Amino acid sequence: MSYRKFLKKMKPKEQREDFKKGEPKSIGTSITENLNIIKQKTGNSPDIIIRMLTFSHDPGVSTAIVHVDGLVDNPTINEFLVQSMEDSVQEKLEEKDLFKVFSEKVVAVSSLETLKDWDSLFLALLSGDTVILADGKNEALIASTRGGERRLVEQSDSEITLRGSKEGFTESINTNTALVRRIIKNPNLWVESMNLGKQTNTDLSIMYINGIVDPDTVKEVRQRLGRVDLDAILDSGYIEQVIEDESSGLFPTVTHTERPDAVAGNLLEGRVAIFVSGTPHVLVVPAVMIQFFQTPEDYYVRFPISTLIRMLRVFMFLISLIGPAFYVAATTFHQEMIPTDLLVIIASQTESVPFPAIVEALIMEVTFEILREAGLRMPNKISATISIVGALVIGQGVIQAGIVSPAMVIVVATTAIASLATPNYDIAISARLLRFAFMLSAAIAGFYGIILGLIMLIVHLTSLRSFGVPYLAPFAPLELKSLKDTIIRGPIWSFNERPESLHPQNPVRQGKHQKPLPPLKRRMVRADTKEGDKNES
Amino acid sequence: MEKAKISTIQLFILMILFQLSNSLLIPLAMKAGRDSWLAILIAAAVSIFLFFIYRALYLYYPSLLLTDYTEKIIGKFLGRILAFLYILFFLYCAARVLREFGVMLLSFAFPETPLFVACALMILVVIYTVFKGIEVVARTGELLFVIMIMLAFFLFLLIAISGLIDISNLKPAFEDSSKVLNTVFTETLYVPFGEIIVFTMIFPYLNQAKKMGKTGVAAISITGAALALTTILNISVLGVPLIERSLFPLLTTIQSIQVGGFLQRLDVIFILALVIGGFFKVTVYTYCAVIGTASLFNIKEPSKLAYPMGLTVLFVSMIIASNYSEHIQEGLKIFPLYVQLPFQIILPVFLLTIAFIKNRKKE
Amino acid sequence: MNRKWIIPFFMAIYLPLLSGCWSSHELKDLAIVSAYALDKNEDGTYVGTFQLINPMNVPGALQGGASGQNPSIATYTATGGNPLEVSDNASTKVSRDLYFAHTSLLVISEELAREEGLATILDAMERGLEFRTTTKIVISRDMKAGDFVQVLTAIDQVPAEKAIKSLEFTEKLYGENVATDLQKFIKAAVLKGKEPLVSGFTVEGDIEKAKTMEQLQSSEGEATIEVNGIGVFKEGKLMNWIEGDKNEGTLWVLDQIQQAPVNIDWDDKKAAISYKVVRQKTNVEAQTKDEKPVISVHIRAEGDLRVIEVPVNVTDPHVIFRIEQALQQKIKDEAEAAIHEAQKTKTDIFGFGEKLHQSDPDSWKKLEPKWQDVYFPALDVDVTVEAFIRRTGMRNNPYLFNLNKKSD
Repeated sequence: MSYRKFLKKMKPKEQREDFKKGEPKSIGTSITENLNIIKQKTGNSPDIIIRMLTFSHDPGVSTAIVHVDGLVDNPTINEFLVQSMEDSVQEKLEEKDLFKVFSEKVVAVSSLETLKDWDSLFLALLSGDTVILADGKNEALIASTRGGERRLVEQSDSEITLRGSKEGFTESINTNTALVRRIIKNPNLWVESMNLGKQTNTDLSIMYINGIVDPDTVKEVRQRLGRVDLDAILDSGYIEQVIEDESSGLFPTVTHTERPDAVAGNLLEGRVAIFVSGTPHVLVVPAVMIQFFQTPEDYYVRFPISTLIRMLRVFMFLISLIGPAFYVAATTFHQEMIPTDLLVIIASQTESVPFPAIVEALIMEVTFEILREAGLRMPNKISATISIVGALVIGQGVIQAGIVSPAMVIVVATTAIASLATPNYDIAISARLLRFAFMLSAAIAGFYGIILGLIMLIVHLTSLRSFGVPYLAPFAPLELKSLKDTIIRGPIWSFNERPESLHPQNPVRQGKHQKPLPPLKRRMVRADTKEGDKNES
Repeated sequence: MEKAKISTIQLFILMILFQLSNSLLIPLAMKAGRDSWLAILIAAAVSIFLFFIYRALYLYYPSLLLTDYTEKIIGKFLGRILAFLYILFFLYCAARVLREFGVMLLSFAFPETPLFVACALMILVVIYTVFKGIEVVARTGELLFVIMIMLAFFLFLLIAISGLIDISNLKPAFEDSSKVLNTVFTETLYVPFGEIIVFTMIFPYLNQAKKMGKTGVAAISITGAALALTTILNISVLGVPLIERSLFPLLTTIQSIQVGGFLQRLDVIFILALVIGGFFKVTVYTYCAVIGTASLFNIKEPSKLAYPMGLTVLFVSMIIASNYSEHIQEGLKIFPLYVQLPFQIILPVFLLTIAFIKNRKKE
Repeated sequence: MNRKWIIPFFMAIYLPLLSGCWSSHELKDLAIVSAYALDKNEDGTYVGTFQLINPMNVPGALQGGASGQNPSIATYTATGGNPLEVSDNASTKVSRDLYFAHTSLLVISEELAREEGLATILDAMERGLEFRTTTKIVISRDMKAGDFVQVLTAIDQVPAEKAIKSLEFTEKLYGENVATDLQKFIKAAVLKGKEPLVSGFTVEGDIEKAKTMEQLQSSEGEATIEVNGIGVFKEGKLMNWIEGDKNEGTLWVLDQIQQAPVNIDWDDKKAAISYKVVRQKTNVEAQTKDEKPVISVHIRAEGDLRVIEVPVNVTDPHVIFRIEQALQQKIKDEAEAAIHEAQKTKTDIFGFGEKLHQSDPDSWKKLEPKWQDVYFPALDVDVTVEAFIRRTGMRNNPYLFNLNKKSD
């Protein structure tokens, strides 16, 4: 198995905490002693199943099967493993070495290997493999029997598309990698696995397409993952936070997705995916900002439509960023810019409002954030109540009481919807936070404040990098060729190169003449033209 | 010098944005009256020669900043003094631009706000940007450039639709050619075109030295054309007398726009152009002062200089003049002739001559 | 916290506190001025009347419960030595800041315009920061400007809006006046070879009653605001009024007609045929012949026939041609009358001088000092008109035509 070698390279192996000094590192020859060690280490946990087996072939030698209840595939153990072990032993073979007999004869299990050290044994055992021990042997046989109850492949809740695959990742890392493999049937799709988390021993895989991906990026990913020495990895979010470039910034520099087609698309552009066991969210690096405004579905519909939708999303993002700030600036600093009729309407509404515009805006925004948070965490039945309270009691009440002007409610509501329309939650949430900063700067210096804030934001964004790739690529630095898949989505037949900013090894994506060439049809053609006869009716 | 590289396209955009920034907004070459656009075009053409002087200096020392190669050309002592003077020049220019920007902003949008506060807010953003280094400055420039182009396009469209353009305002053309030339050599050549002297501090970062000549010429020509076009637009909408009376012709032009009763009062566009322009020019000047100081005094982390230098610019901008008229008079009468002429033209020519002689001896 | 962040951090914290919110004004602290009227007192001080919008009473605004029952405007009057002082004095009476950025109408009384001119007033408006250059200027004829802005109007809730709408509407539909804004006025005033024009307004009826809600309670109204005449300015001062047909003639030459009716006589019947201009273009060219300036005005009009009160066969191209001829003569007469009027008063309202400057700057330099007084009045103006009838309205021949046929 490659991962152990890999681990050795990456991690200068320190003494693992759970094996204190003096304790044996490798397996002893006595089976009872070995089993005792297992029992002791696991604190006699009842879900560690130990089955003693003695075979008639050599009654003196006792063997044991150890596995964890629930993690293993029970039918495999009962029907294939135990059964075939017995069968093979009964054949009264001359060969005395039991393990050799097993490994050569027991073909019913997909993989078998021998181990000598306790470390690996426990890792295998707790991953769902079955351990076979025999008296007089200072090694153990590991049979791959991983299984147990898992969630099925279902549609992802967080990334819904109308068109395209309905498959979403699950919590099982093997299923997840398989889902991608099913899309990219290519031997160059390489997977490297590792095991991180001192307590959780979480499985991790990085996946990339050899020959497309920039080797430096892979090296960088390996190096950053190699540095990880966390206690626990409960979700890919843990990994994300320790490998991203700017952990204190507001903007995500690592994307994650629940969709296999999104991962496949990214791999084909030359990115690296990081699968973490126990979560359906797969990380993809390097990330550029424009990715957060794109969905896999954009590529499935015709390009003018998705271009329009992408522009809409960026526009929505801007609204959710500076909507209320704009309103505050316009009504308190730059009234001359509002058309007179509109100004009169707004003025008549604010006449009875006791607060300055900024306070009004803060009240409504905070109220909205509270409503959203409440709606998100509550069970469905209660969230109906929340929306009634929110809409009727607060929305209508606040206007009738004259505490907030209707114009402000419209602005805040538009902003709220706009922020929900941003397809990626991570980027929407950063806009949500920055919105308050922009509101304050608008209250201090009007449009001047907003513009300065925007410039500062641009400066910040241009200074960001994700695994060596500038965050605002391909806008800054400008890459003209890559622009056709950004805010605009060019036609598929024009995507002849992979994005330059990712430095792909093989920049050519597809054949040059992919533009459809329909037969001459309804154009004015001479009567004796032979082509395209079939299309005429 | 920091460890960074910029591309030709970034240099191109930096040059255009730097020269356009505030010159778009103020009345440019108005001494030449109706023919100011001609003065601008001539100044642009002349400044291409200036650019080639700077380029020739760069080609002698392709990996050095202006403040570094003065030392190599005229000796350690004098060279260092000259480098120091250049740094002061950059700082002073940054302060001037900041002051101008602040006054413009306050005079039409925020009359009651103190100048210091407006400038301080701006310098905060500048410091942050300079702190991040030239790569970020260049990339920010690229994005701001796109915004500026979109604004310009939008404005031009609106002005065309609202039927404000009256070409007869430009007539009679070429009334007084001596006035035009006079304007070129006393005003327009130095601001904005002569200001590309700051790029001697940026050329060494270029990753493709070969394309520099073309890039520079293209950038200067486009700037000249854009400025001339803006002036033509202003004159044809407002007429010369009105421009002469207004502090910001472009603002008055924008305020005249009325399309369909709804698209009017578009001052916010002007604020946007003003802030972007002011920000960019101050940033580039401050950056050059910072990087020059760092290399002159051998400071390892140039970014640490961003705060003190930024604050210096802020305070200098406050004390250089007691009111705007004084500031403008300095800017029109004293500054071009006694400061900009030597720093932008005489000294570079002098340096180039010595460098030429020295390098010929070597051969 | 890292040391390098301390300075910017504190700057960021203190700046907002420093800046306070100097330039910010909450909407409810502003009094939106919709019109500003200036009169002159006997003692030489200015009297300013401010028409303020009262948002609560403007119908259509959601919470305006009182709308329709109270006037949607309020007016305040103050005096002062110059227009800015007037507005400063008025602020003490109003509990809010007077806000001029939305002022759409500047009313000057005829008296003030004649005696003092507009130069000093407009400079104060322009410099006084918040006035916009698109504010329209009108002159109140034979009445106080202050009274003018106090008159309530029925359909347009804000009277200033009513004045501007009727200004723009009549300019567009009848071609009888000009909507001049600050910028246009100043542009024309500073040019040596051009003079500005400003529309006049009058109020017909009982002005005092028209200031109260009685004005809005009857369908007829106590008084109405009307556009009346175009004022000609010379050296910043009001010179005289152009009225009636000459109005139209002036606008023909100025290239400002958008849609105007032209009525011609036919077979001794007065105003028998009405023609509606839909497209118009006037070209003015200036030349010097034998050291003498010559101006040629070429007017080209396209339009439809709207009213035909005499039996003519409009399906006949020859008849159409004759009507066109008559139209051309009529327009030419109007234009020439207007030009003569201007020459009589020695004011170059058409900008002929400026045209000459543009086409022949050298001779303009010689003529410039005496242009208005000597050369302009003696100017040869050659007016040519082309009028085209594109359509004859919704019907072919008038039924009068068929009636006559029957009786034959």
